[in-house]
Amino acid sequence: MTTVAAAGRFNLRREPMFPLWSIAGVAAVVAILATYPLYGTEYVMNLLGMFVCFSIFALSISLIWGFAGILSLGQAIYFGMGAYFIALSLKLSYAAENPTRYGGTIPDYMEWNGLTEVPTIMAPLMHIEVAIVCLLFFPTLLAFIFGVITFKRHIYGVYCAVITLAEALILQEFIIEYQAYTGGFNGITDYETYNNMYFLWVILGVAVLLFAASRLLTHSRIGTVLKSVRDNDVRAEFNGYEVANYRIFVFCFASMMAAIAGGLYAAWMGIVSHLDTGPILSIEGVIWAAVGGRATVIGPFIGTFLVKGAEFFLSEQLAWAWQLVMGLLFIFVVKFMPDGIMGTIGKSIAMGRQRAAYAESEDAFQSGPMAVITRLRSAFTDGNRGFMDNLLGRSGRRD
Amino acid sequence: MSGNILEITGLTTRVSGYTILDDLYFSVEENELRVLLGPNGAGKTTLIDMISGRYKPTGGKILFENRDITGLAPHKIFKRGICRKFQVPNMYETLSVFDNVMISLAGHRLVVQSLFHKHTATDQDRVVEILEFIGLVEKAGFPADALSHGERQWLEMGMLIAADPKLLLLDEPTTGMTEADKQKTADLIQRIAERHTVLLVEHDMHVVRRLGNFVTVLHQGGILAEGPLSDVVANEEVRQVYLGQGKFSGA
Amino acid sequence: MGDAVLTQFFSGFSLVAILIIAALGLAVIFGVAGVINMAHGEFIMVGAYVASVVQSGLGGNTFWSIPICFVAVGLLGLVVERTVIRGLYDRPLETLLATWGVSLILIVIIKMIFGTELHYVGSPEMLQGGFPAPGNLPFPWYRLFLILLSILLLVLTFVLFFRTKFGLAVRAVRRNRSMSEAMGINTARVDMLIFAYGSGLAGVAGAVLAPIKTVSPTMGFPYAVDSFMVLVMGGVGNLLGVPVGAAIIGEGETILAFLFNSVIGKLLVFLLIVLVIRIVPRGIFGYQERTLGHRR
Repeated sequence: MTTVAAAGRFNLRREPMFPLWSIAGVAAVVAILATYPLYGTEYVMNLLGMFVCFSIFALSISLIWGFAGILSLGQAIYFGMGAYFIALSLKLSYAAENPTRYGGTIPDYMEWNGLTEVPTIMAPLMHIEVAIVCLLFFPTLLAFIFGVITFKRHIYGVYCAVITLAEALILQEFIIEYQAYTGGFNGITDYETYNNMYFLWVILGVAVLLFAASRLLTHSRIGTVLKSVRDNDVRAEFNGYEVANYRIFVFCFASMMAAIAGGLYAAWMGIVSHLDTGPILSIEGVIWAAVGGRATVIGPFIGTFLVKGAEFFLSEQLAWAWQLVMGLLFIFVVKFMPDGIMGTIGKSIAMGRQRAAYAESEDAFQSGPMAVITRLRSAFTDGNRGFMDNLLGRSGRRD
Repeated sequence: MSGNILEITGLTTRVSGYTILDDLYFSVEENELRVLLGPNGAGKTTLIDMISGRYKPTGGKILFENRDITGLAPHKIFKRGICRKFQVPNMYETLSVFDNVMISLAGHRLVVQSLFHKHTATDQDRVVEILEFIGLVEKAGFPADALSHGERQWLEMGMLIAADPKLLLLDEPTTGMTEADKQKTADLIQRIAERHTVLLVEHDMHVVRRLGNFVTVLHQGGILAEGPLSDVVANEEVRQVYLGQGKFSGA
Repeated sequence: MGDAVLTQFFSGFSLVAILIIAALGLAVIFGVAGVINMAHGEFIMVGAYVASVVQSGLGGNTFWSIPICFVAVGLLGLVVERTVIRGLYDRPLETLLATWGVSLILIVIIKMIFGTELHYVGSPEMLQGGFPAPGNLPFPWYRLFLILLSILLLVLTFVLFFRTKFGLAVRAVRRNRSMSEAMGINTARVDMLIFAYGSGLAGVAGAVLAPIKTVSPTMGFPYAVDSFMVLVMGGVGNLLGVPVGAAIIGEGETILAFLFNSVIGKLLVFLLIVLVIRIVPRGIFGYQERTLGHRR
């Protein structure tokens, strides 16, 4: 009964890459955020810029975890690397123009730690272009090396999570230990920040760009391959896909994305510390992605704004309560809403559509003009039932 | 060498002291439908695992189209033209039936290719064609985990057909099926075999009788008998091995 | 130089013992139930607080607090297993996140009860002081006690697993969960008891660590990470993995920290771990999957 055309009609309908409503929605949200500084308070504007940076970071976690099944608890490593490159660069150029109390033209924390000049290896970072190139290159390189070491040996899942966690912890200790170079426990601060409406536009622009890129990535063939690797890597391997390469690719892409988010964050916030590279931020990013919907590209934005927004709202009232809420949120999301907000919504829409389509396909042959033809045809062909039974659609057997 | 597409010489597998395959010599001709029989633990699935690259053998050689594929990684063996089906259906659970087949279509296995590949109308038609072939066209949009057991088996076969390999390894595709589904599966295999070389592991004698003209019987990691089905069934040794299981009674 | 390294080697024993005590509970839980318990460090922390209560409130010393902490934290583990872990056994990554949530909650609760200031717990009088060890460093009695305790706990766990009926059930569940279920083993009960036992071991770790470390609500996390590393290095399939992993990491960190500094030491040990799993992906004593394509 089924024809190719019918199959095309009710089952193979695919969403367009960028549905009109999503373009409109994103445009509206971006417009609200972009014009906020014109009428809003500076405090909230600060938060908005920060949230968008964190959203990009959460999106990078979504890509590797939600779409490719790799849970990294050290994604903040890449965020932090990006942030430190930019902060260092801004700090170096700020120090060169604004001598410290003792007349030095090197960053104050270096001076406090007994350095008399900027280490040669860091000097080129003075130029922001160099810093941006470093930001794009080194985190990706580190992700690549990590990927080659682990994914090529079929190490993933809990092992990968635990190793990345330790990696983040060690990087954090490194930053604290080598304070002459990194600013140590207090981090790098007191440099010229980019905290105004125009830079907010830059952040929003980058966010939209990365959002679109992620949507492209996840909804094209490579996205399907990544999902298939997530679902069943053994089958994918025997289906000719070199699974490790796909994991490495998406891991590098996401890490670069996290680094970009970190760079924007450093320029916006004007302070970067070891906390921005540590396991805590990594795991918080995971929960933002999880709340919004880890296997969606819009989810991380929604999750970050909700959770981070709630954090700022709640911790003003009761600081300790926030941690409790966070803890309960982890358990709640994992146990009762593993697909997150957007994932749950998306799933129910898809299910409803599927059900409707299926019902429609059945209906087409059971009522309406098609049904008459169907019944007429089967009335002549189905010999087991009476002719009239067939025509009227009655069951042939009578008790 | 002759028209043998697959040539296995002296294949040996030992796992923690147990010999699973013991100096096995085995070959499959091109365009043949070969049925692999044997009691549980005979080494049938292990043999499939070795050919498809799941394990590395302890010794011996596997030649495919006269090229050595012993111990290659699964994706490399796939590239040479071998694709396998698992005993327990193995698919991409959350992807739609359509995508399951689409992702299995021949070609485009590198990351770069996947990155820039756009699905053409020809690809789509091919997928629909395959879905019709396995009878799942109506469920094209369903996630794979919504399928019944039999449908999952067919879907995995559809994925193999999509990959268009030179040699298909089917590991017990009728396990856990109803009689009607088994018949359908047998038909399916027969039609697949018209265009491909197939190595089929099968337990169900009804299915074997429908399909098999040439069978190989494995026992304790070695070949017990090989030949036309009727000869093998008549073989005294084979009857002995199977007697306990009663599989050949009434044959 | 050689002498000094030898001294470090001996003092490294205590770190090895600490790692064994801390990691053993985690190894038991991960090895049998397949759950990565991110709250393990916080269980240790709770154990340390219980020990401080035992000392200041009840006037007992470490010998008293060991069994009390074992029972108290074991019960805590039981509650967590019943409420949070149950139903997540086939999703290891999810349990990891859920138990992280548990760790946050535990920190808040401890902060609410005890405040954020540091607590100090003394060691028992008979274990104060030390004896001369090779390399002129005095070797504290308490360290010797830790080493002996780590051996004792290992032996006890070994006996529990390999000499009791419960242990037989545990090993059966570990090898083949669904088969064990079919054979009439109550796998849910095994999981629950194993989780409680592993948590109890964390409590013991807290009790004996309290006298040598400052007790604070956030003290747990580094122990959890160190314990994970021990497991990754040693493998989870075999109890031997814990002492071997702990020995390599503990000695490595102590000696390298002496030669360079503690951060470099940690980094080098981390690189060593990565190298090891590159060669044997499931750790030195890990149960290497027979299949190439390993499925969860």
